[in-house]
Amino acid sequence: MALRERTWFPILFMFVITLCLSAVIILFGSFTRRRVKDNERLSYERAVLQALPIDIPVRSTPSRIHNIYITNIQEADEYSAGALRYVKDDSLVAYALPLAGPGFWAQIKGVIGITADRRRVTGIAFYEQNETPGLGGEIIKSEFRSQFQGKKIALEGVPLKILPVTAQLDESSVHAITGATQTSNRLGKFMNEQLAAWRESMNNQP
Amino acid sequence: MTPSNRTKDVVLTALWGDNPVFRQILGICSALAVTNLVLNTMVMGAAVVFSTALSGLTVSLLRKWTPRVIRMMVEVLVIAFYVILFDQALKAYWPDMSRNLGPYVGLIITNCIIMGRAEAYANANPPVLSFIDGFFSGVGYAIVLLCVAIIRELLGMGSLLGIPIPFFSSPLWDRWIIMVMPPGAFFTLAIIVWLARAVQVDKETKKGSKA
Repeated sequence: MALRERTWFPILFMFVITLCLSAVIILFGSFTRRRVKDNERLSYERAVLQALPIDIPVRSTPSRIHNIYITNIQEADEYSAGALRYVKDDSLVAYALPLAGPGFWAQIKGVIGITADRRRVTGIAFYEQNETPGLGGEIIKSEFRSQFQGKKIALEGVPLKILPVTAQLDESSVHAITGATQTSNRLGKFMNEQLAAWRESMNNQP
Repeated sequence: MTPSNRTKDVVLTALWGDNPVFRQILGICSALAVTNLVLNTMVMGAAVVFSTALSGLTVSLLRKWTPRVIRMMVEVLVIAFYVILFDQALKAYWPDMSRNLGPYVGLIITNCIIMGRAEAYANANPPVLSFIDGFFSGVGYAIVLLCVAIIRELLGMGSLLGIPIPFFSSPLWDRWIIMVMPPGAFFTLAIIVWLARAVQVDKETKKGSKA
């Protein structure tokens, strides 16, 4: 009987093929794992810097961004209620509060920058989102993000409203994205919940 | 048929005569999902070409040893192998694009075009021809996707490859938001299939009347 006709041959064949192909994938995976991790870390660091009043040169290499981050940013501790600190010449310039919550399709993760007196926004940036390109995906564009710069964080109630484009804006509100009501609403909801919680715990600091 | 004729035949069939999207209506799930921006579509097309061509080659190389009862398992395994490689490479070297495409690269594994080519062609034909067949089936798929994407991005966002196009990006053009949303893909694809079929049917009837 030829080898191919044996009953155990399909099992052996499948086993060998699976072994070979998985080995290649695992090898390639271990080769790229560090890079993938670094990429994730880098997009987070870039978002933190973008939310803060820090100039990032337009064509920065990854290591340059990492260096700017390392020299300027201090990690969060209990006194900052989970926010990172931007410290320049030994004085606090701003906080960077990480935000995360459900978007329309998947989780949105970002960072919002807040001045040292906790009254104004210095910027907002996102490092993970999967909203509809061209609609909700526009939250990563500067047209939307730049609206936040200099906005006042309300002392009471909703800290920072996201209103429909037809609404009149005041100093603590920005315009939503046309055609992306769901993304705008959901972003507004978790952003304000987390901002309000942070405002609360910072006010309760000794 | 001479070998070069046969190659030409394979290429033409894959690109036009039996085009995976508008002749076989295969793989349209991703055709609908990733075609709202031209750049995303190009990368998606490249991923499909890469996987169909190489899985065709591999399945064909293994065809003499593969037991018939498990051939489909082997095919899926080979396809998954190439798709995962592409996905990993994208994650490591082009993270922004990997984020844009989200789960759709991984879903190429279930793209019926690749499985269809492995089962219908690579299984019974020599490796080089299988590679060519897979490659051009992928290209045939990518071309249709690109047509859909060009129409959607231009009408929906007024740009191509992210570059604003005169007139379409000006205030004179009221952007058709619906084009970048899922329904836009259905409209566009249906119209393209309709046009392509109209041309093909026209040719077929002419051929028929001559005979």
